[in-house]
Amino acid sequence: MLTNPFVSSNILRKNIEKEGDSTEELTANLLEELNCTPVFEIPVFGGIAVNESIVVTWIIMAALTLLSVIFVRNLKVENPGKVQLALESAVGWAQDFFEGIIGKENRRYVPYLICVSLYIAVSNLIGLTGFKPPTKDLNVTVALAIMSMLLIEYSGIHRNGLKHWMAHFAKPVPFVAPIMVMEIFIRPLSLCMRLFGNMLGGFVVMELVKLVVPLIVPIPLSFYFDIFDGLLQAYVFVFLTALFMNEEME
Amino acid sequence: MLSLDFNFVLEMINLVILYLLLRKFLIGPLMNIMEKRRAMIADGLQNASDQQAQAMELKSRYEDALTGAKDESRRMIEQAKADAKKEYDRILEQAGTEADQMMRSARETIDVEREQALRQMKAEVASLAVDAARKVMADSCTARESQAVYDQFLKEAGDLHEDK
Repeated sequence: MLTNPFVSSNILRKNIEKEGDSTEELTANLLEELNCTPVFEIPVFGGIAVNESIVVTWIIMAALTLLSVIFVRNLKVENPGKVQLALESAVGWAQDFFEGIIGKENRRYVPYLICVSLYIAVSNLIGLTGFKPPTKDLNVTVALAIMSMLLIEYSGIHRNGLKHWMAHFAKPVPFVAPIMVMEIFIRPLSLCMRLFGNMLGGFVVMELVKLVVPLIVPIPLSFYFDIFDGLLQAYVFVFLTALFMNEEME
Repeated sequence: MLSLDFNFVLEMINLVILYLLLRKFLIGPLMNIMEKRRAMIADGLQNASDQQAQAMELKSRYEDALTGAKDESRRMIEQAKADAKKEYDRILEQAGTEADQMMRSARETIDVEREQALRQMKAEVASLAVDAARKVMADSCTARESQAVYDQFLKEAGDLHEDK
């Protein structure tokens, strides 16, 4: 744990009660929004606190699966319905996009990339419905980044063999080997921090704007920070993951 | 805010489960159906090109057969013409020889008949001479008349003698 959210927020609450300062109140509200509080504890290993982000992720998973089950039915090879055509064109577009980056011979990784992009996009946009976006929790972005890291390195090893993978650190000159090894961790770190920072920053900026000008002005900014930035970050995350995979598989 | 705890492991499990669920219910079926359609279209195109090739082959075969038939008919006509020409020549030649033969036999017949006529005439001349002589003997006629009769007789007989 890097900080203890409970202590700080409790202190802030007490401060608000004492002073009633509006800035203090805002800070408290912001912190309340920013902190992912544990919703419940799993009573094993001395209690595992399950964060709100995990619960929201479960909700997203359930919704996505349910929608998939509802819409992906009665698929036909000939004369497909409108829903099927829309789904097919979306999936086909994503497939072409990822195959364009990692190559047709590595299409086995495409479903995961589509799945992650869908998850991040929904997570970033779910703030509009009142849920707390899971991507605002560092745990979630770290998990996404670790999965990407595993996938990147696995794809390299699977493609070129362990020996080649070990040897490629010493290219073009053995002198750069430490930097190349560091890259394994720097890539996911940058992925994770980019996503987390964008979501957090967008949220904070929006809150501040709402505080300063509560009327009309937040609307276009909300379009940018809540919708456009969320989709852009989802795109960037999977795009970079695919790019790194391609780099590793060369 | 920047807290990192056991939750990221839960999130990773979540991601894996989400991946499996979506692959099972969304991406898998859609990709499957798209692949099927792609295969069907490729199949159809392959079929079409196959059939076109087949049709072209049949066409060339028919054309070959047609040109063969044309050649055959021309050959047959020429053969028939040649046969007809030969037959015509043969018939003409036969007619010629027949005509020759007929002419020759006709000429022979004419010769024979003429000879017969001559012989008959000779016999008649002889009897005529006898008749004339008898007339001269029987009739008491003038010298002049008898002279004329002689002349006539001599003329007739002389002609005969000259011929011989």
